[in-house]
Amino acid sequence: MSLHTALVNTKEEKISSEKAKKFILSEKNGAESIFVGRVRNENSGKKVLAVTYDAHDQAVIKSFQSICNNAISKFDKNANIFLEHAKGYVSVGEISILIAVGSGHRDEAFKICRYILEEIKHQSPIWKKEHYTEGSEEWLPGHSLRPKKDIK
Amino acid sequence: MQIKLKLYGSSKILSDKEILHIELPNNSNIEKLRSILNKIISEKYLKNNLQNLSKTAAFFSDSDEVITDNYKLKDKELISIIPPIGGG
Repeated sequence: MSLHTALVNTKEEKISSEKAKKFILSEKNGAESIFVGRVRNENSGKKVLAVTYDAHDQAVIKSFQSICNNAISKFDKNANIFLEHAKGYVSVGEISILIAVGSGHRDEAFKICRYILEEIKHQSPIWKKEHYTEGSEEWLPGHSLRPKKDIK
Repeated sequence: MQIKLKLYGSSKILSDKEILHIELPNNSNIEKLRSILNKIISEKYLKNNLQNLSKTAAFFSDSDEVITDNYKLKDKELISIIPPIGGG
């Protein structure tokens, strides 16, 4: 099992699928599943120019490691996982998140990839601000980490 | 007393700086902080879609643990506001 998780500061680096493919490669694994999330040029009828991602760095890394370790225990103890998420300004078409999984079989590889993506949306303190072509910008709504029973 | 609130996501609209200094009565807890934040937002930031922030935000201690509404704040304590998240 090998695990790599990182927040990538877009001022310094770009997320690379080649790096991910090299990391997960193993003769023990018969399946690779790679999810690449990119910034779209449209959202809710608005033309998007770019997205700025903000993050609570330490809490994000803790959550990434916990999510990946859970995925490994749940689906395949020998899986290799590479997970990177962008922090900072990301233009339309560029990569915002990359999850690459090398696993014994395809079913586990797909499941791990999907599990990690969905858990990040519910656990990792990352925020998106969309920048629109007409010049405005907006922080997008998201999932509250406050327990639902406490929100009155 | 005063606490330091580190801003993330949509809460960054509340200040140009990373940290917002907030005056609170002595022995205040997170619940009191929510009501003060609600007052600040109602007075100045209602147009910025922040009206639910004081209800929906979570708060992290300096050691990145979630702190609940009855958590007693200390003078000069640094905490983080965690608005609803949306990565991926």
